[in-house]
Amino acid sequence: MISKVFEPDSIAVIGASSNREKWGHRILDNIISGGYAGVVYPVNPNKDEVLGMRCYPSVLNLPHRVDLGIIAVPAGSVPAVLEECGRKGTRGVVIVSAGFGEVGNTELEDRVRDIARDYEMRMIGPNTFGFINTHLHLNASIIPEMPEKGGISFVTQSGTFGLALVDWAASQQMGLHLVVGVGNKADVDDSDILAYMSADRHTKMIMMYIEGIERGRRFIDVASRIRKPIIALKTGRSQAGSKAALSHTGSLAGADRIYDGAFKQAGVIRAGTLEELFDSALALSISPPAGDGIGIISNGGGASILAADLCEDLGLHLPDLSERTVRMLTGVLSAIATPANPLDTAGNGSYEMFKAVTDIMLSDRSINALLVIYVHAEMVDPCLPAEAVIDAREGYDKPVITSWIGGTSIEAAVKLLEKNRIPNYPLPERAVVALNNLVRHKRILQKR
Amino acid sequence: MKILTEHESKKLLAEYGIPVTREAVARSREDALLLACKIGFPVAMKISSPDIAHKNAAGGVLLDVGRLEVGAAFETIVGNAKKHAPDARIDGVLVQEMVPRGAKIVIGIKCDSQFGHAVMFGIGGVFVEVLDDVSFRVVPLTKRDAIEMIEEIRGRSILAGCDVGAIVDTILQVSEMAAKEKIFELDMNPLIACGRGVVAVDARVIFKD
Repeated sequence: MISKVFEPDSIAVIGASSNREKWGHRILDNIISGGYAGVVYPVNPNKDEVLGMRCYPSVLNLPHRVDLGIIAVPAGSVPAVLEECGRKGTRGVVIVSAGFGEVGNTELEDRVRDIARDYEMRMIGPNTFGFINTHLHLNASIIPEMPEKGGISFVTQSGTFGLALVDWAASQQMGLHLVVGVGNKADVDDSDILAYMSADRHTKMIMMYIEGIERGRRFIDVASRIRKPIIALKTGRSQAGSKAALSHTGSLAGADRIYDGAFKQAGVIRAGTLEELFDSALALSISPPAGDGIGIISNGGGASILAADLCEDLGLHLPDLSERTVRMLTGVLSAIATPANPLDTAGNGSYEMFKAVTDIMLSDRSINALLVIYVHAEMVDPCLPAEAVIDAREGYDKPVITSWIGGTSIEAAVKLLEKNRIPNYPLPERAVVALNNLVRHKRILQKR
Repeated sequence: MKILTEHESKKLLAEYGIPVTREAVARSREDALLLACKIGFPVAMKISSPDIAHKNAAGGVLLDVGRLEVGAAFETIVGNAKKHAPDARIDGVLVQEMVPRGAKIVIGIKCDSQFGHAVMFGIGGVFVEVLDDVSFRVVPLTKRDAIEMIEEIRGRSILAGCDVGAIVDTILQVSEMAAKEKIFELDMNPLIACGRGVVAVDARVIFKD
């Protein structure tokens, strides 16, 4: 059961070490310092004590069987250690050790997989950085920082880049639930993890960084049944079809194009850039899906026109406002401002103005989601319009996304928006791209 | 890798209900005239050889051939082919109905190592690679997949007035064929679409060994 791997009550760290350079040390240290409440056993035949804890020579010597074995021993020793895990009744393992299929040693990888299957242990890896479960305060990985708790579950390839992405996401205060390095996927693959995350109550959305999917049709079948948003960045867009192909289809069918079609069948939103992946994951984890009628408000016309242009490029539309909305807006706007979508308050960034126009625009039936842009002006406290948006959206279930534009002077306002779970972006284009993915998610759900 | 000739490929397509041109292989010039009379004039004539993939490049295609020209056309095509590829095995000359004008589209199959078979749809004709306006879906396809892959094409407006339902049906028939046959690659290019349906005008099936 994969749930025993990601939600273990007890863990053995096999290859636990006092040497700070060793992964066996870092993982044990991360588990302890992260505040994990379950039982942890260090295992190493050459030590009596590691990090002040009693160390066991083998999992066979542990007082109880454990849910999870984390294996960080040299590749050649993995089969023997895994065999012992199996004999002890370990439910699942994470093999951190490298030196398997990724360096051409597929024979060893097959052997390890066969042992795991013989004992019915689910296996993550080999060659993975491990995983993090923030809700269990469990950092069973070599990632130094425990991310903020939240609804995003992140599945990633486990190379150095994947590691850096997790590190970066943690520093962005993105709320994460699970972070999993899939490694060589000898047993558990992307589809298995998706199926688990689909049922997992803490996962609100799934974010994937993918370099390749092995059993493609199965991935489509699993992902297409999941209602939670899935957004993926797949590298290798430039992979062209074979020039020497025997047919037109062969020469036009780059692997990436088939991925493009497959993601559509799977109902997976494909991100074009890392920025889009992270920005949209944030919005998808805290905002509901949206229809494609977008309202835009700003205290500076240029920013709202920029956002409106990009909406049009992406196929979103800015509906005309109803007569009632126009009448209500006319009542609050100054004479030089026009009651239209996008709405420009003609420089007015006050609490009262932002509260009134946000409320009125959200009340218009044709508007499914709202983007509020604040362009910082010296005279205004940027926290006031932020508070106005927070107050005005109360009682509406439409997504509200913001873009507060400015330097250090808007930092407090940005924190305020984040704290109140409003996805905020430093540039309006980034906000529109994230908004577009809320719309894409709605379309995917409507197709089901 | 085994490559079927155009005529063999179309016989396979027809088994899956995909409309193909009325055609037959003529072994001699007399044979050609007889077949052409049966099919109706004018006809298209193409070299039929398992060793010649690019029939046009070999001077092996003549279109709009009338009753009086059939015999000479047969000799020209076979002569050109022998000059182009002296060692090629030649089955004869394919005599085929001329299809009325319509939108040229392409439907194909590609066997991918990660996803298995995928179906391609797009704007066809000789500029298929230049236009590069195609979409893919992994087999088996649903009807919605087929509709979406037509809607995704940049040049979808050329299909105005065409029987889109017939195109959808053909995409689904190709999906079924991909699931059943050991196909490595398939091209139907062009497939002519008009208001009354579609017809495969040229096709090539490549089997895995």
